[in-house]
Amino acid sequence: MRGLVLLIAGALALGAQNNAATEKEQGPILRALAEELDRSRTLQLAGVETPYFIEYSLDDLHGFAAVASHGAIISSNATRLRLPRVQVRVGDYGFDNTNYIFSDFFGRIGGARLPLEDDYGVLRHHYWLLTDRAFKGAVEAIARKRSALRNVTVTEEVNDYAKAKPEALVQDLRPISMREGTWTSLARELSALFCHYPALTGSQVEVESSFSNTYYLNTEGTRVRYPDDLFTVRIRAGAQAPDGMPVRDSMGVHARTPGAIPPQPALERLVRELASNLTSLLTAPAGEDYSGPVLVEEAASPQLFAQLIGANLGLTRKPVAEPGRTPPVPSSELEGRMGARILPDWMDIVDDPTQGEYRGHQLLGYFPIDLEGVVPRPLTVIEKGSVKNFLLTRQPVRGFEGSNGRARLPGAFGAKAPVFSNLFVKARETKSAQELKKNLLDMVTQRGKPYGLIIRKLDFPTMATPDELRRLSAASGQRGGATRLTATPMLVFRVYPDGKEELVRGMRFRGLNVRSLRDIIAASDTDNIFDFIGNGSPLPPAGVAGYVSGHTVVAPSVLFEDLELDRIEEDWPKLPVVPAPALASCK
Amino acid sequence: MKLFSLFLLVTGGSFAQSPLLGLLSEELHRNFQVLSRKADPPAYYIAYAVTDQETANVSATLGVITGNDRRKMRVLDVTVRVGTPALDNYHTIRGEMGHFTAGIPIALDDSPDAIKLKLWSETDRCYRLAAQRLINIRTNKEVRVADKEDSHDFSREQPEKFAAEAPRLLFDDAAWAARMRKLSAPFAKYPSILNSGLAVTAQREVKYLVNTEGTRVSHGQPFSRVTIQAQAKASDGMDLATFDAFTAADPANLPKDAEIAAAVDKVASDLNQLLDAPLVDPFVGPAILSGRAAGVFFHEIFGHRVEGHRLKDESDGQTFAKSVGSPVLPEFISVTFDPTLRQAAGEDLNGFYAFDDEGVKARRVTLVDGGILKTFLMSRTPVPGFESSNGHGRRQPGAEVVARQSNLLVESTKQVPEARLKEMLLEEIKRQNKPYGFYFQEITGGFTNTGRRGIQAFKVIPLVVYRVYADGKQELVRGADIVGTPLASFNKIIATGQKLEVFNGYCGAESGNVPVSAVSPSILVSELEVQKKESSRDRPPLLSPPVISTGASK
Repeated sequence: MRGLVLLIAGALALGAQNNAATEKEQGPILRALAEELDRSRTLQLAGVETPYFIEYSLDDLHGFAAVASHGAIISSNATRLRLPRVQVRVGDYGFDNTNYIFSDFFGRIGGARLPLEDDYGVLRHHYWLLTDRAFKGAVEAIARKRSALRNVTVTEEVNDYAKAKPEALVQDLRPISMREGTWTSLARELSALFCHYPALTGSQVEVESSFSNTYYLNTEGTRVRYPDDLFTVRIRAGAQAPDGMPVRDSMGVHARTPGAIPPQPALERLVRELASNLTSLLTAPAGEDYSGPVLVEEAASPQLFAQLIGANLGLTRKPVAEPGRTPPVPSSELEGRMGARILPDWMDIVDDPTQGEYRGHQLLGYFPIDLEGVVPRPLTVIEKGSVKNFLLTRQPVRGFEGSNGRARLPGAFGAKAPVFSNLFVKARETKSAQELKKNLLDMVTQRGKPYGLIIRKLDFPTMATPDELRRLSAASGQRGGATRLTATPMLVFRVYPDGKEELVRGMRFRGLNVRSLRDIIAASDTDNIFDFIGNGSPLPPAGVAGYVSGHTVVAPSVLFEDLELDRIEEDWPKLPVVPAPALASCK
Repeated sequence: MKLFSLFLLVTGGSFAQSPLLGLLSEELHRNFQVLSRKADPPAYYIAYAVTDQETANVSATLGVITGNDRRKMRVLDVTVRVGTPALDNYHTIRGEMGHFTAGIPIALDDSPDAIKLKLWSETDRCYRLAAQRLINIRTNKEVRVADKEDSHDFSREQPEKFAAEAPRLLFDDAAWAARMRKLSAPFAKYPSILNSGLAVTAQREVKYLVNTEGTRVSHGQPFSRVTIQAQAKASDGMDLATFDAFTAADPANLPKDAEIAAAVDKVASDLNQLLDAPLVDPFVGPAILSGRAAGVFFHEIFGHRVEGHRLKDESDGQTFAKSVGSPVLPEFISVTFDPTLRQAAGEDLNGFYAFDDEGVKARRVTLVDGGILKTFLMSRTPVPGFESSNGHGRRQPGAEVVARQSNLLVESTKQVPEARLKEMLLEEIKRQNKPYGFYFQEITGGFTNTGRRGIQAFKVIPLVVYRVYADGKQELVRGADIVGTPLASFNKIIATGQKLEVFNGYCGAESGNVPVSAVSPSILVSELEVQKKESSRDRPPLLSPPVISTGASK
């Protein structure tokens, strides 16, 4: 599951599976792609190189996005796009043109667009040219890779591509109803609610509706067509606290079917909740450096697991490079730690893309088949606290060959990126929410601390600007923190021994990473469900565009014996010289 | 000047003002009241510019639609100047002029709360950047020897009042989609053409500008364009392309199908012939540039060098810095920029506007009179010897204003009929004892053929070029690149034709892409240097095209 330009999510059970669709029922797109794919097998260059594997995909998108602020539409765009992707592999499964630093450089077809009408001939014409370019690029890349290998020794003797069983999954196309007017007025009306919160000087509501059909074919015989839709309502707001600190928050509501977006009154409650939290934050006291027990609950718990576990479940492979030009490839914190204990032994984590719903909540991470035409199965990634499995694509990595169907985003060096789907964090030993809070207070008292901390929401996906992320990253490095970026907590409460809570602002984690999870000492018997749209990065931006993946994380609240948080100390910008304009209308 | 103020009185009184102008004005004054009195450093000038665009596009290839969309946007550009007109935050330091505006989107309707909040927060952001940069400039000034030039950073100009709305965008998407399908289909008859397409764009643009000197203008312009393009690859790998375009203010005035179909046929057959055309050899000799080619040439080679702000930039070539009052072109050539001209040679001009992007009234400016350089294209950034704007401060929304071209007009007092110009070329070939000369029919360059996006600026790319032999025979060639010092070529203009041709396009430079036109007769030059274009190593496609009927056959 992935998206384009706007967003996307997994397919749904709506289109009944119809694997036995006849050629005619499959329509001109599948037929044109299949026939041109077949003809492309005959490509040959210099009498030697021929393709051993070719894949075609096509993303057919009907999108609509609108942004409103204070009751007015700021932008409103309908998008109709058909994007092709063509990959050609020359050589063989053992050694081919990929996993080389310039694999993506040659024969790139970035930005290519297809006609919007189903014309068999014109589609074939486009795929003919795209395949020609991709094939010539592949031949060039393998030649360069061979010559690079004369100068470098390779430490990993790993195949370049794993075999996979052919699949046929051709689902019916469903009717598309854009309902642009409904989405537009929803955005307008939700955004107008901010006039009741004059202290929030910046706010907007974004709505996105995207219907997409994904096609995938390869020369091994796989034929795929499935719907891949996503609907989003995103709320953002921000303001400057009296001491100059910028304060803001966002909330994304996502669904794979329009009907799963909550009704307007429920969305209005979310807007009010976000707005009033943020208004309270503006006047909340700034936090102080803290080291001690922390209770992580509500959205913050799944947000934390998404970052610390979810983003570390894929393994990356270093491409063949020219000597001295090895590119920095981000590596997982769990790499090489198969079987290592990272959580208490009463916790398990399962990645399950096959589930579409959990306790009445539609799961965003559902997908029927991945970008390489591999059907995923549920996968226990952490068992009894220890690393049990990694997410794999058809790109072999050291120690692992054979996909488990997690290729959900385009990747680098000719590969796809492994990405998690629905992450279920399970605890076998649980306590009620009240008991957890009591445990926290007991620890506070025992250690003679004035208060403990409860974290209820993180800035994840993040609203931070690239500049702020740089500062955040630098600061976490300087103060002995993790080198990896972690989301800033948004809603942090001091909880005093008498149980009274006090909101504080301006805190960030210090040294938070996978190892911190070993300090979990208890979990709740309740689930916190959090949906988000990612782009493969550990800290994705809110409202990311391009190819994206949908995720749901279900996790209990967790009590950490020890976590460290710092007060953010920066030179805040001065308050504006001119006061904000008085708002005229508030109906 | 009397006439001028009379005009203000009339227009100012006779047009209803848009509610947006009122909103902009109100918030402008509220912000300026405080920023000019209570802020340190104080602001001495603020301007709000809003560009409101509605665009419709339809494109097709081989009889099927490739795109069909409509966009609306309203973009805000804020200018805050702190310091004094003599030295402010826009002062150029080592060629860098500062960038403050972000071109943010604002509410599409005239909703007061939403618009005022954006105006306020954007003014605050720009003020902070402006104040910061002024401090840097002052520090920089103190430690460095004063720049040679001592001109101010901002000119004084007459406040303007004007309000006019552009007509509503009338564009029938379905009808155009049917036309684009039909007109793009014939390319299918040419199997060696790899990519081809037609696109039509229609746009309504209204610009609003208010500033703290009292300027309050709104003015607009409809615009529409049909483009035709095709690409192919010669057997040696050389990429070849041909294109054509039609421009009209009102989409209803775009050509009828028959005329577009003829252009499609010519784009396709020119390209098909180019595939088999011989490659050029390096050559120096006489050549004719068609009116359109000459227009592009003047725009690229001459026009960009007379943009005033280049004289302030130490890193620039400053070709003409000391040439005012001296001959820069043959005495029979004059060059004028006239943004007030709506049409030339029967075609609507793309470089028309009523006010520039600093709210200065557009006017006709003679740059070169009888070969003598008179002045420069000026924005409100003065250069030594030229203290005022002449209405050429332009930008794409989101960029800072610099001096840009408008409608470039080449005028000649040494005109001969086109047939005579060709005879003169043959005489010149014989006189120089050359085997042949060149005829450049189509050139593309800083102008683009693809609408407002993806523009390649500053490149002169001949598309359709003929070798002309001494006996008058013409032969299409490919791979010709014009090299050498093109400026020198202008001094070698022998004569011009009589018929004016128009090239409408977009020009990309520091302040983004702006619509421009060039109008010129064809010119005969005694000497032009041509070399072989660098070629791609990629071969044509390995497999033959899939043989199938396309949408073209529907």
